[in-house]
Amino acid sequence: MKTKSIDPITVEVMGNALLSIAEEMSVTLVRTSYSTNIKERKDSSTAIFNAKGETIAQAAAIPVHLGSMLGICKEILAKYPLDQINPGDMFVANDPYNGGGTHLPDITIAQPVFKDGEIQAFVANIAHHSDVGGKVAGSSSGDCTSIFQEGLRIPPIKICSKGIINQDIIDMILLNCRTPKERLGDLWAQIASNRIGENRIEELINKYGKFMFKEGLEAFLKYAENKIRDGIKQIPNGVYEFTDYLDDDGIELTKKHLPIKVSVKVQEDHIILDFTGSVKQVKGGINVVKTALYATIYYALKAIIDSEIPSNAGYYRAIEVIAPEGTIVNATPPAAVGGRTDTCQRIVDVIYGALAKAVPEKVVAGCNSAVTTVLFSGTDPRNNNFFVYPESLGGGLGARSNKDGIDGVHVHVTNSSNLPIECLEMEYPIMIEKFEFIKDSGGAGKYRGGLGIRRDYKITVPMEFASHADRQKNAPWGLLGGKPGKTGKFVINPGTKEEKILQSGKVSEIELKPGDILSAQTPGSGGYGLPSEREEKRIKEDILLEKTTLHQAEKDY
Amino acid sequence: MGYKLGVDVGGTFTDLCLFDEEEKKNMVLKLPSTPQDPSKAIIEGIKNILSINKVNPNKVNYLVHGTTVGTNAAIERKGAKTALITTEGFRDLLELARQTRPSIYDLYKDKPEPIVKRNLRKEVTERLRFDGTVEKSLNKEQVSDVLEEMLKDDIEAVSVCFMHSYLNPAHEKEVKQIIQEILPDVYVSVSSEVLPEYREYERLMTTTLNSYLGPVVSKYVNNFAENIKEIGIETKPYINQSNSGVMSIEVTKNNPVRTALSGPSAGVAGAAYIAKLAGFEDIITFDMGGTSTDVSLMQHSIPKVATGKSVAGFPVQVPMTDVHAVGAGGGSIAWIDNGGVLKVGPHSAGASPGPAAYDKGGTEPTVTDANVFLKRLNPEYILEGSMPINYAAANEVIEDKLSVQTGLSVIDAAKGILKIVNSNMMRAIRVVSVEQGHDPREFTLVAFGGAGALHAAHVAKELGIKKVLVPDSPGILCAVGLLASDLRMDFVKTERLKAAPQNLSLIDEKLNELITEAKEWLLEEGVPMEQQMIDCKIDIRYVGQNYELSIPIKGALKTEENLKVLQQAFHSEHEKAYGYANEREEVECINYRVIGRGATSKINLRSHEAGSTDASHAVLGVRNVYFDEVDAFINTKVYQRKKLKPNNIIEGPAIVEQMDSTTVIPPHSKAQVDLYKNIIINL
Repeated sequence: MKTKSIDPITVEVMGNALLSIAEEMSVTLVRTSYSTNIKERKDSSTAIFNAKGETIAQAAAIPVHLGSMLGICKEILAKYPLDQINPGDMFVANDPYNGGGTHLPDITIAQPVFKDGEIQAFVANIAHHSDVGGKVAGSSSGDCTSIFQEGLRIPPIKICSKGIINQDIIDMILLNCRTPKERLGDLWAQIASNRIGENRIEELINKYGKFMFKEGLEAFLKYAENKIRDGIKQIPNGVYEFTDYLDDDGIELTKKHLPIKVSVKVQEDHIILDFTGSVKQVKGGINVVKTALYATIYYALKAIIDSEIPSNAGYYRAIEVIAPEGTIVNATPPAAVGGRTDTCQRIVDVIYGALAKAVPEKVVAGCNSAVTTVLFSGTDPRNNNFFVYPESLGGGLGARSNKDGIDGVHVHVTNSSNLPIECLEMEYPIMIEKFEFIKDSGGAGKYRGGLGIRRDYKITVPMEFASHADRQKNAPWGLLGGKPGKTGKFVINPGTKEEKILQSGKVSEIELKPGDILSAQTPGSGGYGLPSEREEKRIKEDILLEKTTLHQAEKDY
Repeated sequence: MGYKLGVDVGGTFTDLCLFDEEEKKNMVLKLPSTPQDPSKAIIEGIKNILSINKVNPNKVNYLVHGTTVGTNAAIERKGAKTALITTEGFRDLLELARQTRPSIYDLYKDKPEPIVKRNLRKEVTERLRFDGTVEKSLNKEQVSDVLEEMLKDDIEAVSVCFMHSYLNPAHEKEVKQIIQEILPDVYVSVSSEVLPEYREYERLMTTTLNSYLGPVVSKYVNNFAENIKEIGIETKPYINQSNSGVMSIEVTKNNPVRTALSGPSAGVAGAAYIAKLAGFEDIITFDMGGTSTDVSLMQHSIPKVATGKSVAGFPVQVPMTDVHAVGAGGGSIAWIDNGGVLKVGPHSAGASPGPAAYDKGGTEPTVTDANVFLKRLNPEYILEGSMPINYAAANEVIEDKLSVQTGLSVIDAAKGILKIVNSNMMRAIRVVSVEQGHDPREFTLVAFGGAGALHAAHVAKELGIKKVLVPDSPGILCAVGLLASDLRMDFVKTERLKAAPQNLSLIDEKLNELITEAKEWLLEEGVPMEQQMIDCKIDIRYVGQNYELSIPIKGALKTEENLKVLQQAFHSEHEKAYGYANEREEVECINYRVIGRGATSKINLRSHEAGSTDASHAVLGVRNVYFDEVDAFINTKVYQRKKLKPNNIIEGPAIVEQMDSTTVIPPHSKAQVDLYKNIIINL
């Protein structure tokens, strides 16, 4: 009997309280941070862990961040004996190989919560810092070939000891960043967020008592486990395979079409994902470390099995992962990882490609599944400040089993808002000339794929451009007869004599001069079902709305 | 001496409140709404309340109407056929929004359909730079061409929004003029008039929604004005807006988007008024209905107004009463999910089939059924005997649907339902209090709506709140609120200026412009200078931040001393809201806000004569009611609300019943009736 072990009321009540705490931490972090990246784009997450470092609750935020937080508490516990962890301590870390992180700009700060001299829980938050040093501004260049080029590596170290901020550590971090003032503000915000979390968890422990609190956390984990197992049972047993290909690693451009392969085995109430056959880790920074892989898988399965499962470690218990070390999905040092989200996105697509054979009604066709990221840096003559402006763009969300995809959104492991254009132009010497859907970029099908986005940046002072993006060569695939969507591209000065299409989605140190236009064009997504089955009124509507051209419609339908 | 009339139309009921200026008392009436044609219930209600109280229509000297016509048109997507004119390159902004998807984990959830179809979103050549200077001038011929096309499309409304127009409205003004020449019958909104504030998507969306609602709301308020004239009411009516203020019919027609969240705001205004009379200025309002609950927080009896709320899934940036809604109420259904946990809501049994205990075919256990089973609600009848209750049905449905699956006893399951729904309410109250830097223990909970008083005491106890106020007629507080609101309009301008002495005159210039605008508006609305109230605020942040805090100021700054006071106020507000401040950091001003208020001749209820503390005359009987505090059903006195007199004291445990509400007073607490007949529960 699945419900015997837990008290169905306390779980719900305590679950509500824990989520409320994670959300309050998140509100504090977003509101108090300095950088536009966190503030406007909410590129941050907050979570609560049990004393063993298992995730208990996470504020609804960016799924890939779950990865950085999956590892942090365990790394702290591995490094520090319990007698060296004190109330009021806070640990900072960002290293993917030693600090539980997934790439260097994501800095995590975690804090244990004590009662009667024992750790009862951890609170932690993560924030994407727009620069942590390294060879290029923004720390996320496509041409890095080693983690050492990507910026400052921080293993778990104490940023606060017994409640007192360790200024030495802060000074060292700031000295390694190109935008220290902003970093300082963000670190403060992260510390403030944890303090709120610590207070609230203490209140909760005082209310329920240590024992009940612990039991409640365990029951909350068990609840998530029950839910995922129940969901997995609805998927037919079997082994389902799929392979998709990344364009290139941005470095060894002759090596094209890098495979990501998965075999998904569904066995009653648990699921095994085997990535054997995926390409070996690559020189460019698109490698994924284990925690990021796990975070990606947890996202992918929750989204198609049961979107109401609380984001905690309970449901991980039903999932087993096989990922050979040294491959792109489980990289070893010193592989560069700055552009890992492109690969994470594709891992989700691959899992859906495989499960389309088992539960076609639940998955979506191939999505834009890159995180098209542009990064501008230079000196703003208005105030002589050096600036770094990273921005990630959405694209098409694949067509679904009963409706079209969604045009121009972030998919899968990311969901960050874009900076308002009026803020952007106020803050940086850049003007946006266009922000629109790309017609015909959604694959044809009974249901059409979502459209990609075109965003044109007009450069007003000399600056450098860097990027990482994918699906510029391998198009997002359709399902059950649906056609693929369009690939993306970066174009300098489109439609002019100097038009130049960049060779790869992963570039760095591209010099732009005043008057240049950098046009970022993101991939669309695949269609679902045979184009011949598309209702005529939908085709007509697409033509009327100029989402599909007449020419393309005649070709496809 | 005459009468003031408040008419509040909700989805289920139309509530009226008639205030007698001589007697200083309220008369109320509730009747079912007529959603097909709301004016039916309105006319019938007005005629009835006047004739029952023998009041000649021409004695009504003030009338405020609260309507959800705008809200419903937005939700049901029944606004006007609307077109958009925007800067070249940006017609998709309306649909792209902030490029996030609506649900992270639900791949099948869609964004709301854009309110202007893509083919009706037209681009014209023009562009302003970040500082408002012109990069490309407006191509007027193109504007005319675009409008000629619209003629063919039977467009009913147009919205105009250009990049950076909040700094320089010239291009938008020109377009507006051309539209008025070419399409004189079409409704027009331009962003620099509707919301001259930065952040283009939010400004665009607010302006476009204003256009979309314009024709519908204009027609409705015109009819309303005609209708009351026919009844014989001569005074000019006012319309309630989302910021807990009222505006005239003419202003409403230009600003329909400002009515879009007016429903909950009337209740908040009513609670503010009643609580202030009773001596409570810092309150949390708790309006629990059948399917949802609204909570809000206020200090010094001033409802909190915030920007950045959403209507029908779209962000709307005009200031609105800061109400937080949760999808749980008395009709919410309890169920066991596939993880084995008891959940309450978001589905609701609604009015039909309703809770099982109502015997109208409801087959799912609801919060009401749990209240009936635990006998907090009368197990035999409610609504003063007019509606029978089937106790056995409540028992049975909890047993069948919850106990069998979980092994919980019926009592435990019913207790669980209340615990969970209360925990949802607590979460909502935390959002408006602790997440904004307020300690709920410093506030009084004001409970209203059908189910508010039933849950308030236990929710308050969990949050450490010491006092609960239950107004005399919790069911018609919205209609009372309409008569307690000021005439009000919010004005805003954006300009980024460091809060430094060299900018003093520039900052003051912005404020003074807005103050003049507000005063002129109030004069036009017939408010003489001496009755005008002007509140000023500046949205401030640390340089580099991108969120602002609104800091109230008395008026233009004038001196460096005042500038320092302003900075200091910002630092302490920041400290309060976020736990830190950094006084060495530079501070910048972003938005300048001026609120013009005109005191309307509001209601002033009189107090009643104090009686003795003895409440025994109001006891209806005794029943066994379950209370968590003792974990048992215990003998509990049941009181009749209308027999209670000022000063009466009720010792908990007790139940107080009235026509449309039931108040629970837990053990170990004491309640007293105040001079305005409110029940104050001391926990």
